[in-house]
Amino acid sequence: MLLTLAWGLPLFGALLLALLPRRSESGARILASIFAVLSLALLVWAWLGFDSGGPLFQHVLDLPWVPSIGVGYRVGVDGIALAVATMSALVFLASIAYPVDTKDEPRQYYAWMLFLMATSLAVFLVLDLLLFYVFFDLSLVGMYFLIGRWGHGKPQLSALTFFLFTFAGSLAMLLAIIGLYLSLDSPSFDMRLIIEQQPLAGGGLYAGLVFLGLMLGLAIKTPLVPLHTWLPQAHVDAPGPASAILAGVLLKMGTYGMVRLPLAMLPDTFQRYALVVGIIALVAILYGALVALGQRNLKRRIAYTSINHMGYTVLGIAVAASVSDNLMAKQLALTGATVEMVAHGLITGALFLICGSFWQRTGEYDLDHYGGLAQRAPLLAGLTVLAAFASLGMPGLAGFVAEFQIFAGTFAVYPWLAILAVLGILITAGLFLDLLRRLFFGRLPAHLGQFTELNWVEATVLGALGLGIVIIGVYPRFLLEVIDSASALLIGGR
Amino acid sequence: MLLWTVPLLPILAAPLVYVSGRRGGRVRVTLLALLVVAAASGLVAVAIAGDWRGSYAISSALVLQLGLTPLSRSVALAVPLIALPILLFAGFHERPPLGRLLAIMTAFVGAMELLVLAEDLLTLLVGWELIGACSWALISHRWQDASAPRDAIQAFIVTRFGDLGLYIAAAAVFAGGGGFGYQALPDLDSGPMQVAAAGMLLAAVAKSAQVPFSAWLFAAMSGPVPVSALLHAATLVAAGFYLLARVQPLLVEVAWLMPAIVAIGLITALAGGVVGIVQGHAKKLLAASTSAQYGLMWVAVGTGYPEVALLHFLAHGFFKAGLFLVTGIAERQTGSYRLAEMRLGAQLPSIAWLSAILALALAGLAPLGAGWTKEQIVSVAYEKSLWLALGVALAGGLSAVYASRFQLAMFGRSSRRQLGPPRIRWGERLAVALLAAVTLLLSLAWWPAAQFWLQWGLGLPQVDSHLWLLVLSLALVALGILLGAALVRRGAAWMERDWARSAARWWELVPLTRGSGDAVARLADRLARFDARVLEAATRALAARARRAALGLARGDDKAVDVSLRGSARSATWMARFSATAGEALSWRLPDSLTGMTRRGGRWARRSQSGQTHHYYAGIAVGFAVLLLILLLSAVL
Repeated sequence: MLLTLAWGLPLFGALLLALLPRRSESGARILASIFAVLSLALLVWAWLGFDSGGPLFQHVLDLPWVPSIGVGYRVGVDGIALAVATMSALVFLASIAYPVDTKDEPRQYYAWMLFLMATSLAVFLVLDLLLFYVFFDLSLVGMYFLIGRWGHGKPQLSALTFFLFTFAGSLAMLLAIIGLYLSLDSPSFDMRLIIEQQPLAGGGLYAGLVFLGLMLGLAIKTPLVPLHTWLPQAHVDAPGPASAILAGVLLKMGTYGMVRLPLAMLPDTFQRYALVVGIIALVAILYGALVALGQRNLKRRIAYTSINHMGYTVLGIAVAASVSDNLMAKQLALTGATVEMVAHGLITGALFLICGSFWQRTGEYDLDHYGGLAQRAPLLAGLTVLAAFASLGMPGLAGFVAEFQIFAGTFAVYPWLAILAVLGILITAGLFLDLLRRLFFGRLPAHLGQFTELNWVEATVLGALGLGIVIIGVYPRFLLEVIDSASALLIGGR
Repeated sequence: MLLWTVPLLPILAAPLVYVSGRRGGRVRVTLLALLVVAAASGLVAVAIAGDWRGSYAISSALVLQLGLTPLSRSVALAVPLIALPILLFAGFHERPPLGRLLAIMTAFVGAMELLVLAEDLLTLLVGWELIGACSWALISHRWQDASAPRDAIQAFIVTRFGDLGLYIAAAAVFAGGGGFGYQALPDLDSGPMQVAAAGMLLAAVAKSAQVPFSAWLFAAMSGPVPVSALLHAATLVAAGFYLLARVQPLLVEVAWLMPAIVAIGLITALAGGVVGIVQGHAKKLLAASTSAQYGLMWVAVGTGYPEVALLHFLAHGFFKAGLFLVTGIAERQTGSYRLAEMRLGAQLPSIAWLSAILALALAGLAPLGAGWTKEQIVSVAYEKSLWLALGVALAGGLSAVYASRFQLAMFGRSSRRQLGPPRIRWGERLAVALLAAVTLLLSLAWWPAAQFWLQWGLGLPQVDSHLWLLVLSLALVALGILLGAALVRRGAAWMERDWARSAARWWELVPLTRGSGDAVARLADRLARFDARVLEAATRALAARARRAALGLARGDDKAVDVSLRGSARSATWMARFSATAGEALSWRLPDSLTGMTRRGGRWARRSQSGQTHHYYAGIAVGFAVLLLILLLSAVL
């Protein structure tokens, strides 16, 4: 019931906002924030009630829906889903509370935000493959409208590109899901049943194609190079908070899906292609970092770092799927991959919200437009430095906990991939320090004389995200325990 | 757990230092920073007496461990003690507000203590990266400048390149044994052990500014003088030496490691010595000398005597910090770091004397303590080979050349021009005097009773010394001092020669380092252009074409409406109902949502009709068809 409420409340909030009469900007935002807070509180509650020593899936609710084809309303979480869902709720809350230009349609904007929140959380919470697919696609709809209606630049085209591309991926995934479904003796969409029965354990062409379909769809969403081309412009043209959600939450659906579907349901097939996936992830890591370094546009640069970071996550997942019998290393890599999802959500969420603040003030993303802002906006500078250092993997902040575990786990299985992958954090360091220098250091140009410091809402939201990043950095135990409970079962249970 | 207080106290107190310095005063913030660092050194003393330990489990696999060994005890004690006069100097020398500078320096000491006390590679890595971040913040202290932030980036990136080695080393130890502790090192298999050794060597080379990573120290000179003093004497550069000294006894089985350490150290000592001789920039001269002096310590570590290296590290820490501070005072008078513009002996006589003590220590002259520690290195080198010992002695001679050149150029007498009254505060003078006093005090090392105490207290091994070697080495020092004096008298013309210019650029390592950074940036630019103009442009063109097609379809091409289109139309109607209830403002977007849906259908339809579509999508479509076919077949079978 807890989990149902966690994703149901935002949906209810979305309907409420859509149906109720016109509200003021702040009224709509406060109402939406309340629903987001409630949803987050429910997930925290679920976290407190989660037993790390217990079964894989907890807080399970299983209601028959269409028994004839094995569809049911099934929700439940393991440690990985719980961590990612809770992080998502936090990023949604931050994005909803963050001030943005709603173009005089606050009610619609916040309704779509809550709708997107409901569908996104549901992706992480449901245990039914068909529902997973439905929510996976519904989240596209929400994001499509947020970009198309409240974006800037050429939002229509960007939103369309985003939609077409990720939808094509979804279709591949749908076929694979049907394939999985048909492979069961008594077909069902119950994820737990499929994980338990391992219908395609033998491998073969059929299993390979199902795996391919799943991975294709998830890789587009993640996104992995070379399927990333929808991402940068969607980010640039999206409003700041929508970007934060796109990077912080929607990309996680890809990697979360890789853990939930191929890794858990097709481990034998994944094992065979683990090295290939790992190499593709390595390409994403290095290519994403280098291309990010080459960007002169603030938002594009951060968008490409997402490709780099999600590459680490996929690398960790590939290691977890590998043939090695070093269970400890594989578990470390999978835990690291999940922490990377959480860390990247918070860090990149914060960075995109910061981009939003820049846009609100100047309407400009070109890095050459800026300089010397540490003088005008020291708080903004400080929080950006924090987020940037977290993103480049500084110890004491969330990113390091994730990346170190991924490297250590990967080295034990694929030493060469690990040795090459660490180069990514060097390039990331360069690009973020360069970003900080161009934004905040040097002489203040005359046209930025009126640049204003963060207001209290922005500062509070970014401060809260920053606090989360620091807490995970210095006291990751609370997070690692929950995630380890799942990764131990997923790795050791084979 | 108690040992955690040592690194955490300065780190946690740093925000307090920051806040207390915001109002702009000097006294309060300086006092607080000094108090914190003094308390940290007191804590180290108590920890040594009580044999404290610390451990902190992040998860079952990741445990951070702190502990004390004879080596880490001395360094942990030395770091805050060297930092104290530097902080005092910073408080009096730099322009307020001082909160940020002193706070980061304080935190820096804490991070360094973490690194020193680490008992495993993970903890080491945490401290290692934190000091890198602190150095970035400190070097870019004058962030309003155009160049300082750039230089800070270079310093951070070069040292982080070395950090990658530490990541790999830690991963190799984990892969080999399942933990990260130093104690796991000797038990590793050959493969992981060699990887770990190589990784740590890389990390140490970069941090210690050894060849070929020496150039970043020049970039780091953009930081304020107290920052340079802290980096060179006690923290950042010291970390590389410390790591090797700490793990060397555990890695004796790696056959190539010790010769590699010796070779890198000796090459850096000799090459860096020449760089120091030809440098015209006072701080860069000291920077080159730092590389060279750490090179000597490396030789000692590589010959199997980390304790000897430790002694030289301690002596070096005090005199090098003092020399940087002296340089800061001189710069305050002339507004430049150019040696040719100094000659401040008449104006700052007392500072000139203090500087002379420090410079003679740098030269390695007896009876100063640094001279004894350097002779110890010559002696242990002789145990390996005569040529190594001669090399070290020659490097010592080179350091005598640049030390005397530094001193005479800085504080020689000149009647060329008149500067105003000396601008110097009592705190600055006190800081330099303290460091000079300790340097003098270390002369006791020549006294046999003190040597006995060192052997007992630090576990320093008995090193055979040879009188002829000592005489030779000291003769080289004396010769070097004379040569340095002659160079100063001759003027700067010889520095214009090609080889000297090249050496002054750290034998072209400076342009090489910058060039490799630029090459990566160019590669990044090219990839970014490729990504935008080829990959992304194709994607967007595809979407735009789909959109045009869909708009055409929406105008009434009924034939194209197939099953999938109807499906999407139905969902669009649902969307429409949702929007309609949501009010007018939403529904004017209806056509958009409809086209959003129909576009998709249109694309499918168009392909089924004309077949003229992009190869990419054609490929995907074929793939889908095959997949579907197989699925159907298997369902039937």
